Amino acid sequence: MGKTWQIIKHEYTRHVREKQFLFSLLSLPGLILAMVLLFFIISLVMGDRTPIGYVDYAGVLDDPQPLEHEGTFFEPQVEFISFSSQDEAQSALDEEIIQAFYIIPETYPDSLNVELVFFDQPAGSHQSQFAQFVRKNLGMFDGLDPLVQERLQDTSFITVSNLERTRRMAQDEWIMNFMPFIAGIIFIIVVLTSGGYLLQAVVEEKENRTMEIVITSVTPNQLMTGKIIGNIGVGLTQLVIWLIFIWIALLLGGLFWPALQDISIPADFILVMVVVMIPAFVMIAAIMSAIGSTMTEMQEAQQISGMFSLLVTIPFYLVTPIINNPNGVLARVLSYFPFSAPVTLLLRMGFIEIPLGELAISVGVLIAFGVLAIWFAGRVFHMGMLRYGKKLTFKEIFRKKVQI
Amino acid sequence: MSTIITNNITKRFGNTLAVDQLSFDVQPGEIFGLLGPNGAGKTTSIRMILDIFKPDSGEISVLGGPMTDEKKNRIGYLPEERGLYQDIPLHRCLTFLATLKGMPEKSIGPKLTEYLKKFDLYEARDKKVKELSKGMQQKSQLIATLLHEPELLIIDEPFSALDPVNTEMVKEILVQQRDEGKAIIMSTHQMNQVEELCDRILLINHGHQVLYGTLEEIQDQFASRDVLVSPRSALPSTIKGVTEIREKNGRYLLALEDDIEPHQVLTDLVKNGIEMSAFEVAVPPLNQIFIQVVRKQARDEDG
Repeated sequence: MGKTWQIIKHEYTRHVREKQFLFSLLSLPGLILAMVLLFFIISLVMGDRTPIGYVDYAGVLDDPQPLEHEGTFFEPQVEFISFSSQDEAQSALDEEIIQAFYIIPETYPDSLNVELVFFDQPAGSHQSQFAQFVRKNLGMFDGLDPLVQERLQDTSFITVSNLERTRRMAQDEWIMNFMPFIAGIIFIIVVLTSGGYLLQAVVEEKENRTMEIVITSVTPNQLMTGKIIGNIGVGLTQLVIWLIFIWIALLLGGLFWPALQDISIPADFILVMVVVMIPAFVMIAAIMSAIGSTMTEMQEAQQISGMFSLLVTIPFYLVTPIINNPNGVLARVLSYFPFSAPVTLLLRMGFIEIPLGELAISVGVLIAFGVLAIWFAGRVFHMGMLRYGKKLTFKEIFRKKVQI
Repeated sequence: MSTIITNNITKRFGNTLAVDQLSFDVQPGEIFGLLGPNGAGKTTSIRMILDIFKPDSGEISVLGGPMTDEKKNRIGYLPEERGLYQDIPLHRCLTFLATLKGMPEKSIGPKLTEYLKKFDLYEARDKKVKELSKGMQQKSQLIATLLHEPELLIIDEPFSALDPVNTEMVKEILVQQRDEGKAIIMSTHQMNQVEELCDRILLINHGHQVLYGTLEEIQDQFASRDVLVSPRSALPSTIKGVTEIREKNGRYLLALEDDIEPHQVLTDLVKNGIEMSAFEVAVPPLNQIFIQVVRKQARDEDG
């Protein structure tokens, strides 16, 4: 274990100490921060907090009761100011005391039509606030339980749910449906980062000729184990730091945007994520080290590994058919294909509960391919480790007996 | 106990016979020259000793038996293809390679400092390996080979890229290691270094043994019937038993008749009152033996 540990430590620290790693580490939080800033800027620019006026000829709002909730940072509650005439309201609009005004005509109780006067159209949320304000003061719900009144004023929200009620899609919970995408993207980035580092580590040892010294000091098993664990460690460090960043972002975001506080990730989602990702991780790592062993130059190795990266990201290109029919043939087939399985399963799981049997087959296939990939990598490594000038051909790998 | 014993080792790669029934041994306290033209099978033999390749047939005993993981720690190897991790500082690279040889991290520091100072690399210890010159990298590689104090050293072309001063220092280190009882296998094409350093040599060509023995034995085998004389006064135009006299840089090469021994010529010269500062049997340089043997083999194979 001593030497394996030294290799793990060497592989881990050489990447973590690099500037390149720091950049890639900060890329996601940087992106999140930039998006949050953009949101703030947009809401500050767009979110006009100027009051809205109204001229009530119908007498609906003679003695108005204000709305009780206070709004949020992104959707602040605007003040409603009553004007006795249209001219008065118009001059307030001209002087920019108000951003717009409603005219409620005498015929309102029959026609239910109002008129809105503005220079720049008020935000949709402000218009719906006024609608709520009018509904509340129409007296339609008088005598009802205050809670029922409040609920009725909120109008309808449609929530689509599976029969077990463990997956929901609702207008106010759209963030939850982003989760599988985010998880998928993070998975891809982390797997490809670790895989890329591993590829680099193996090819580099051939390129700089350290391989011969290393294999006369340690066994190929110690070398491969150390490299795979060390580089997966780099990926996991990245993952953990990103998750911490996301958690902090959610906490901070929740202060301004209450919807973020309601985000909770189902336990089975996390469990499946772990069960699917570990063998997928090992499989990709083994494939990357196998590619590294056959190739003699980094550029070439990157081209071949790019092909595998493409296979892993396939589900994102087919996201619409997968989500439209998460139990359809395409979604199922992609769940059984080891390269596309991780992301496909994550995408499907955001919307449905995948039957246990199907999940078991997917995980089984992944584990089988993981084991196969390790065997393959070991074989290729033995044959290719000391080939400097000439790359190993597929014919050689499968035809020959391993000569060591 | 021999440090290395190979017994009829053979290795094929496809249709190519890389090493053919090779047997030799290496003793503690000797520098053993493994020589041969390019592609003769030297590197393959070394890789079999190091257990990178397994021989198709034959046995190898290293440090008293088959290779084990523990024994790898007792071997220092300077491969023909040099290599160090380019993107990390020199001291970290050498420390890592020493830990792979089983050295505890704590004990590496002082020893490494000592070697870095000896090889004039101490100032460069924090530089990335890729920033070092070729000669500096070569010296660093030698440190990696020696740092863990191996009992067996296998070094391939140890003097390439070294200036005369560093060449001399490396030679001193090798002699010192030998005097400490280490076994050293040295593969090189620089025959003058072999003559100067090696106790015994093995010359291989096309994978099989051509010459094997002490340097003296081999040179004796190829010794011509010539003597070299450095006279203080003029030599007579004819000397008894000498067929030809040739002058070269103030020294005279005397070709002897078939039934005449060098000591008979010496006695004759002394009797004739010729004063000499040197009288020696002409030994063919190893370089010449090497070329002669390899060319002869090529001719034999063609013929």
